[in-house]
Amino acid sequence: MTDPKPGVAVAPRLTSEAAGTLAQQSGLREMGIRPPLGRYIRGVWDRRSFIWNLSSSRAYVRNQGSYLGQAWTVLRPILDAATMIIIFGFVFHGSAPGIENRAAFIVVGSFSYSFFQGIVMAGIGSIPADLQLIRSHQFPRAVVPLSAVLTETVLFGPIMVAMVVLVVLTGFLPDMGGPVFPHWSWLLLPVAAALLSLFSAGVALFFARLGARTPDIANVVPFFLSLGRFASGATFSIAGLTGHDSWFRPLLLYQPVQVFLELIRSCFGNEPLIPMAPGLWLLAIVYAVGVFVIGFLFFWGAEESYGRD
Amino acid sequence: MTDDIDYEIDAENLPKRVVKRPLGSPSVIVDDVHITYRVFGARKGGTTQTKTSLINRAISVGRPDTGPITEVRAVRGVSFVAQHGESIGIVGTNGSGKSTLLRAIAGLLPPTKGRVFVSGEPALLGVNAALLPRLTGERNITIGGLALGLSLREVREHTPEVAEFAELGDFLYLPMSSYSSGMGSRLRFAISTMQTPDILMIDEALATGDASFRKKSTERIEQIRDHAGTVFFVSHSLGSVRAMCTRVLWIDKGLLVADGDVDEICDAYDAFVKGRTGAAAGANLN
Repeated sequence: MTDPKPGVAVAPRLTSEAAGTLAQQSGLREMGIRPPLGRYIRGVWDRRSFIWNLSSSRAYVRNQGSYLGQAWTVLRPILDAATMIIIFGFVFHGSAPGIENRAAFIVVGSFSYSFFQGIVMAGIGSIPADLQLIRSHQFPRAVVPLSAVLTETVLFGPIMVAMVVLVVLTGFLPDMGGPVFPHWSWLLLPVAAALLSLFSAGVALFFARLGARTPDIANVVPFFLSLGRFASGATFSIAGLTGHDSWFRPLLLYQPVQVFLELIRSCFGNEPLIPMAPGLWLLAIVYAVGVFVIGFLFFWGAEESYGRD
Repeated sequence: MTDDIDYEIDAENLPKRVVKRPLGSPSVIVDDVHITYRVFGARKGGTTQTKTSLINRAISVGRPDTGPITEVRAVRGVSFVAQHGESIGIVGTNGSGKSTLLRAIAGLLPPTKGRVFVSGEPALLGVNAALLPRLTGERNITIGGLALGLSLREVREHTPEVAEFAELGDFLYLPMSSYSSGMGSRLRFAISTMQTPDILMIDEALATGDASFRKKSTERIEQIRDHAGTVFFVSHSLGSVRAMCTRVLWIDKGLLVADGDVDEICDAYDAFVKGRTGAAAGANLN
C-alpha cells in the first residue's frame, strides 16, 4: 500500500488556545457540551410537540401487524392478570387476608405494576434503540427516554379502562365480596396513574443514562423488576402477610411502588381495609416529584455523551 | 440502519461552478477532534486496537472467539477553520472517516477528544431517522419536521408543499411501507429540505429518484445552499465536488492529509485513488 503523497500541504494548524480565542472573538458556541440546566429544561419544553407526536405515533404502531392489532395492548395484561387470579385468588387462598375481593386486588396490582415495569424497561433501552435518531438530529436527549415513557403511558389508557371493567366483572365471581359499584373516587384513577407515570419516568431517566453506556443493564434489571413485583405486593397483601414485628415490614409498606399500588387500589373504594387517605396522596406526590427530579438531573449529567459509542 | 440517501448525480445536471463568495467571519472551528468507536466483541486481530486491561480480559472470558471491547479510531486529530460563504467538500476513500467527521461537526456524535465551535445550528441534509414505515406519509412529514426542530405550526404550513415536492399524490395518506423505494427516498429528501440552516451538511444526498426528480432536487439543494452560510459536502463524486465547492478537505484514515484549493486537491486525490492497489486499503486503520 502506497502512502498518500498529495502535492498540496495542509494549512498550518491552529493551536488549541488559538482556536479557543478565535472562537470567542467570532462569537461561536462550543458543540457537544452540556447546556446549563435552565436552558436544557427550556429546550425539552420547546420540543414537547415532538415528544408527544413521537410517542403517540409509536404507541399506534406498536401492535400493528397482527390480526387483532391494538386489541393486544389490552388482551396481554388481561391474560397476565388471569394467571395471577387463578394462582393467588383461588389456589393460595390466604394471600390477601382481610381483603374481600382478592381478584380485584390482584387485577389492580398486577396491571399497575406492569405499567411501572414497562416504563422502566422502555427507559433503559431508549438510548440504544434511538441511537440513529440521536445521531441524525439535534435536540435535548431527554426527549428520547421521555417519549419512551409517554408511549407506555398512552398505551396504559385503554389498559386502565380494561382494568375498571375487569374489577366490575370480579364482583360476579363467587366468594369475592359481592358486586362492585361505581364510586366517585374512580375519577381520581387517571390522576393516580399520572403520578405513577411521573415516578416511573424518574426511574426510567435514571436507568436510561446507565443503559446508554452499558447495555448489559437491560439484562440485569428485569430480575430486580420481578423481585420488585413481589416486594410491592402486586398479587398479595404485604400488610397482611408480613409479621408485625419484622424489620422489613415498614420498608416494604412505604417503598414507593407499594405506595402507588395502594393509592390506585384506594381509588376503587371497594375495600374497607384500603381507604382513600390524604396521607397516601401526599406521600405519592412527594415520591413522584422527588424521583422525577432526581432522575432528570442524573440523566442531564451525561447529556454530552449520548450518541457516543 | 441509516436512511442516508446515496445517489449519484447526472453529469448533465451538475450545477454550474460556484462563484467564490467573499469570505466572512469564522462559522465552524474544529480543534483537534478525535472520535473513537467502541465495538463489542469484534474479532481478535485484524485492523482494530484491543485494550488488554485485566477487566477487558475478564469480560472476554464469556466469548473466547472474540476480543472484548475494541476501539476503532475513526477520526484522529482533525483541525480546521471554516468561514461564512465557504462551500467545503470532504473527500476520502470508503471508511476514511468523512461521515463521522461530518456528524461530529453537526454535534450529533460527541468527539472523544477535541472541541468543535459553531456559529449556528448545523443540520444534516437527507437524513431522517425519526420516520416510522407503518405510519402514513402525512404523519411522517409531521414527525420528520418536528425532529428537525420546526414548530408544529411551521410543519403544518409546509406539509402540502412537501407532499407536492415529493410527488406523493394520494399516497400521502397511505403508510410509508406501501411506497416504492423511489417514493420513500423522495419523501425523505423533501422532509429534510423543510428548513434552511446556517451551516448545511450534505452527505452525498444530492439527487434522488428518477431523472426528472433528480433535476428538481438538485435545484432545491442549490436554493438551500445559496441561503446557508457554510456548506459541507461529502461525496465520492469528484465532478460534483469540483462544481460545488470552493475548498476541499481530504481525509485519509481519519487524518486530514490535504486542505485547500479544489482543483489541486481533486487532481491529487484522483491520482491517489487510481494508484491504489486494493479497495481494502481505505478501511485499514493501522
